[in-house]
Amino acid sequence: MVDKTLNLGTTVAIKKEKLLQLILTLTEKGYQPIGPCLKDGVISYEPIVSIDALPQGFSSEQEKGHYRVKPGNHKRYFDITPGPHTWKKFLFPPRTQLFKAHLLNGHWQETLEKEETPRYALIGVRPCESAAIQIQDKVFIREDFSDPIYAKRRENLLIVTVNCLHPSPTCFCTSMNTGPKAQGGFDLSLTELDDVFLVELGSDAGIAVMQQIEWEPASAFLHQIAQQGFKEAEDAIIRQIDNLESVPNMLLSNLEHPYWNEVGQRCMSCTSCTQVCPTCFCWDVEDSTDLNGKYTRRERVWDSCFNLAYSTQAGGNTRPSTKSRYRQWLTHKMGSWVHQFDSLGCVGCGRCVTWCPAKIDITEEIKTFQDVTA
Amino acid sequence: MKPTNAIPTTAHRAEYLLAPYWAKLKEITQETDDTATYWFEFEDEDLRKKYQFGHGQFNMLYLPGYGEAAISISSDPEKPELIGHTIRFVGNVTRAVSRLRVGQSIGMRGPFGTTWPIEAYKNHDVVITAGGIGLAPLRPVIYHILNHRDDYDRVVILYGARTPKDLLYIQEYSKWEDQGIEVIPTVDRADENWGGQVGVVPMLFYRLRFDNEKTVVFSCGPEIMMRFVVFEGLARRIAPEKIYLSMERNMKCGQGFCGHCQLGPYFICKDGPVYRFDQLEPYFNLEDL
Amino acid sequence: MNKKQNLIDALQAITWFQELSKEHFEKIAEISHIVEVNKDDTLFSEGDKEDYLYIVLEGRIAIEIYSPFRGRLRIYTAEPLEIVGWSSVTPVIRQRTASTRAVLDSRLIAIDAQILRKFGDDDPELGYIIMRRMANVVAGRLMVTRLQLLDLFGHPTEDQ
Repeated sequence: MVDKTLNLGTTVAIKKEKLLQLILTLTEKGYQPIGPCLKDGVISYEPIVSIDALPQGFSSEQEKGHYRVKPGNHKRYFDITPGPHTWKKFLFPPRTQLFKAHLLNGHWQETLEKEETPRYALIGVRPCESAAIQIQDKVFIREDFSDPIYAKRRENLLIVTVNCLHPSPTCFCTSMNTGPKAQGGFDLSLTELDDVFLVELGSDAGIAVMQQIEWEPASAFLHQIAQQGFKEAEDAIIRQIDNLESVPNMLLSNLEHPYWNEVGQRCMSCTSCTQVCPTCFCWDVEDSTDLNGKYTRRERVWDSCFNLAYSTQAGGNTRPSTKSRYRQWLTHKMGSWVHQFDSLGCVGCGRCVTWCPAKIDITEEIKTFQDVTA
Repeated sequence: MKPTNAIPTTAHRAEYLLAPYWAKLKEITQETDDTATYWFEFEDEDLRKKYQFGHGQFNMLYLPGYGEAAISISSDPEKPELIGHTIRFVGNVTRAVSRLRVGQSIGMRGPFGTTWPIEAYKNHDVVITAGGIGLAPLRPVIYHILNHRDDYDRVVILYGARTPKDLLYIQEYSKWEDQGIEVIPTVDRADENWGGQVGVVPMLFYRLRFDNEKTVVFSCGPEIMMRFVVFEGLARRIAPEKIYLSMERNMKCGQGFCGHCQLGPYFICKDGPVYRFDQLEPYFNLEDL
Repeated sequence: MNKKQNLIDALQAITWFQELSKEHFEKIAEISHIVEVNKDDTLFSEGDKEDYLYIVLEGRIAIEIYSPFRGRLRIYTAEPLEIVGWSSVTPVIRQRTASTRAVLDSRLIAIDAQILRKFGDDDPELGYIIMRRMANVVAGRLMVTRLQLLDLFGHPTEDQ
């Protein structure tokens, strides 16, 4: 007698081709499935309707300042590691209209529209990325104020993580305790083996989806293969940060160390790292009017602490040098974040290492700071 | 980090990010050539009655098409229905405010930020050091002291501006002095018609004799001015926990979301703008932080 | 006799005079006298030969510099216990660098600067004490002047 009940925390197995059923079930339940696709030479997160859209058979080649997606000699769907896109754009869109207002008889009248909040099902979220979502939850949803746009989308969100068995050289999730296996923060968590997906049940919503899909109990043998795969993945991780707990204090106590000048000279203040980072949350407000000045619109747009205008107000710029802005970014991500949100702001996804045109490697810089301040 | 003395933000729409309530301009008091106090009343009657603010807090004032500016509230917290903002016209938004006429409306959200903890310092001597527009966020504290004069012992205001014409609230000084508050204004330079002191605010602070054990210092003005006040205060052995400063950085949201106002680990809009010096010390005075 | 006692009392109220030895104190008291100035009267003018070192006892003395088109600019006010006219003691500058005027009715101690300088020449120990005091005064003024130069309350140069 096979136990056919689904419980939280248990792991089941589904045949590979059942992945399509997963996508269709999610659609039936009113979600818009989003998954990784190969687009413009990079892995991008797009709406998907079938498994054909997934980058089956591809692998990412990543190093400092280098990114390629190439066919590998395998048939896995989720072998690729994070590209320049992050999932944050679904919870925190790059551009959102906040409200409009128009001038009527000398008085401004605002139009507050309740947007139709989308229901996204994110498929293929890596453990590091789901850790990033959890970190952003603490930024946008707080006791004193919550961002209504993020909060509503987050409520409607379903997360299907895919554990990592083939990390890239730029990954360092093991140092940040965010991978290669997801430890929570998901509705369903997949591990892609050769013939099956192992599916770990993380929530009632996840269970509700799985009930519509043909599954089998996961045998001990499959569990063992998965375990072996995780061990190999951990061993394959090259980059690391040692003594992580001491990093915030080390950085915040050495804000005037001469080494900042050195890094500051290499940095181009191009904002790439902040654009590809899954936890960066800074934003700006744009006000625009028509030529008559009778209609106005407020929009929220992504911003970056590397932008000159970021720290400029009437009276001048408080961070005029590149070095000061680089210092702000690194000491925030790896230092101040702990004081602000009780965790570090970095998940070890390695994107900033890959996408920095100056080849600045955050793990190397931390190591250097540790050495020069010892 | 929990903010100190936080007052609930009543003029705030939780379901719509950054959407303001509207407030009508009732009166303008011209203070100097480039500064005026604007008196606003919320159009929504319920909100007008509910709204409260603390000493040193600010509102985000919104002029459609121009943007928002974080402006400290400079009126009496015990009379919160008519809200006064002393505004210096230096940027796009504030210049647009200067073109408002009585009867027109402005968007307002708030109040935000930490407060001067004046109520916690009963029976103390209070030294207020301010420069330029910095006296505006301290005026609520002065109102509090006037309303509860017996709660405080010696109260001294050291206030500096560029020239005598730039001194804020000069017509109120005699009223304050009538209540036993020492008001010592100073200017950077003057002509022979000025009978007061010429020199910087830190100079006034150097000359002041005070009891370091029972003195609390509230300071607001250019950072350099506050820096020298702090140096002297510490040299005269005032505890760093008894020196309060009001910091300023570029603000966009006022709620700790957009990241712009960060100074070290602090969001000036929610962990500040008022800080105890011991909280600020590791990050104060660092170039380009 | 009364005048002399007033002078001694006034000098003794000043901290650094209290720190002088009895002998040094009496030497300086000998060359000092009390000066009274009415509101708006000039104490000395720019360009004058420096003759006295002044210490304000009561009132307020403004230090002013004249500039064409701008008139007399008041750049500092000296309060009680502050020194006015330190240039009379330091060797390099031989003329008054600014004018002084009483903002309020004031009382000052005037010390004959030429004789004070000679005291210093003859008695290096006293000379050192005086110079050290002057160095403090000049250092303090320099720092305060720098802050004033920064024009902290002026308009920022950049628009938003």
